[in-house]
Amino acid sequence: MRTVRTAALAAVLALTCHAHTAVAGPAVTADPLGVVATLPAVASPHWVWVNDIVFSHMSDGQALLVDGDSGRFLGMLSTGFGFERVVLAKDGKLIFSPETYFSRGTRGTRTDVVTLYDPSRLSPVGEIAIPPKRSANMPMMADSELTDDGAFLLIYNFTPAQSITVVDTRSRRFAGEIETPGCALAYPTGARSFFSICADGALLDVHLDDAGHVSSRVHTRDMFDVSSDPVTEKGVRLGSRWLFVSYGGTVYSIDITSRGLESGPRWSLLSDAERRQNWRPGGLQQLAVHATSDRLYAIMHQGGPETHKDPGKEVWVYDLGRHQRVQRIALRSPAGSIQVTRDDRPLLFAAFIGSTTLEVYDAKTGSYLRSVENVGTTPTLLVTP
Amino acid sequence: MARRTSRRGLLGSLGALLVGVGALPLLPVARGAEKPAKPGKTEADHQDAKQDETSCHYWRHCAIDGYLCGCCGGSASACPPGTVQSPVTWVGTCHNPADGLDYVISYNDCCGKSSCGRCLCNRNERDMPLYVPFRSNDYDWCTGSSVANIPYHCSTARVLARAT
Repeated sequence: MRTVRTAALAAVLALTCHAHTAVAGPAVTADPLGVVATLPAVASPHWVWVNDIVFSHMSDGQALLVDGDSGRFLGMLSTGFGFERVVLAKDGKLIFSPETYFSRGTRGTRTDVVTLYDPSRLSPVGEIAIPPKRSANMPMMADSELTDDGAFLLIYNFTPAQSITVVDTRSRRFAGEIETPGCALAYPTGARSFFSICADGALLDVHLDDAGHVSSRVHTRDMFDVSSDPVTEKGVRLGSRWLFVSYGGTVYSIDITSRGLESGPRWSLLSDAERRQNWRPGGLQQLAVHATSDRLYAIMHQGGPETHKDPGKEVWVYDLGRHQRVQRIALRSPAGSIQVTRDDRPLLFAAFIGSTTLEVYDAKTGSYLRSVENVGTTPTLLVTP
Repeated sequence: MARRTSRRGLLGSLGALLVGVGALPLLPVARGAEKPAKPGKTEADHQDAKQDETSCHYWRHCAIDGYLCGCCGGSASACPPGTVQSPVTWVGTCHNPADGLDYVISYNDCCGKSSCGRCLCNRNERDMPLYVPFRSNDYDWCTGSSVANIPYHCSTARVLARAT
């Protein structure tokens, strides 16, 4: 028996050696130590940052970079406690990340910073100390935004006093703090301006001077119906318009004009029949826009009035010129967050905080393209270049 | 400033991650992914869950968003050992099916350690956006705690008073 086995093994080895001989090429050379991959200096428009608060271990926030074309995981950032999202510099040459740390992990002295990351090396190249007041909340895009010219980074604070930290990105210094009592978050409206949404449904329209200090502030009239059908804080911007959607699916437009902020036309995502069938928008990052095609994308599901945070298995697409739905995209999995790339061959990314799979669709046709598994732990906001 | 009531609520939409609790595993936030109820669950089971403080369906949890302290070494009204109950929170109004009355519930967070990780629950009855802070469960209501400023562990659901 042993003889038979030995003979068989010899035969296999002989065949193996023969095979190797047949394809023999240059010998494999030793790999050098210390090689670290880098990314191209210019980001692909089809990359997406998947931001992750890591809800089960919040001291370990992460931002994960994925290429939507290949599905390749490109790298990540470690971003501290209660992480909300990265903000990409307008010129693509820097990544800003508002972060919080404690001297003993989950206790001790709290330090808040804006960490500056090199987008090619995904490593920190500097940090800006800011007051330890950064709001800890379910991540929203309006937690931190750049003014239109990229000169100032605006960061929402909640202690529970409400204010906005202003960081000068040119000098890389904390520029000051703007008190916004009764008003939350920051929605940029120009090179030196933004608004916050107030609890009474009005807006706080703030303009800055070149030093990042307040030059004017106006409490507008009520823009939203807060008591009967509030808009979510999950607005999206398309040029000189901010679009907000209410729990019940009414679209509100806030227009940025030379006369100030004005209410635009209101319309509904839903027909009467769809409303009767309990269709409504839902999710954490439930809206996306594509500027050149003038399209609004909304995650939709069927459910009662208190399901405004539920994920959906459909994305409805609207022509913003006609206020009409032009497409229904069926998703493979329920999504709570969507994003559409800015280019002319746009991708639609879909994720859900309760799943670690990122799905990629053709945003124009709605065709499913691919899934990327094991992206983070509790993915929240999707940010594209 | 802060009305010293109500609660935190970071989670917003972690539905599918619900762990613990057992009998009725679906969070409202996961309704989009909801599967048919398992056979064998009866209305009596559902009513029992409404009186079980480790259940997401417990009546006081109608607007909670986070890990249930009753599953973490505390209870619906007490924090687990070694944590700190934040005094600043948000309030909801929940209906108690046992006596047919509505109560004002204060969702104080327990703070100072990493996430408990058990019995994740997100329900959103009367929940408002972040711009109405003291009615929003999307804030980390450990914010402002003088000794444990923002590390969130779990959420309680204290009865404040009958709603009138």
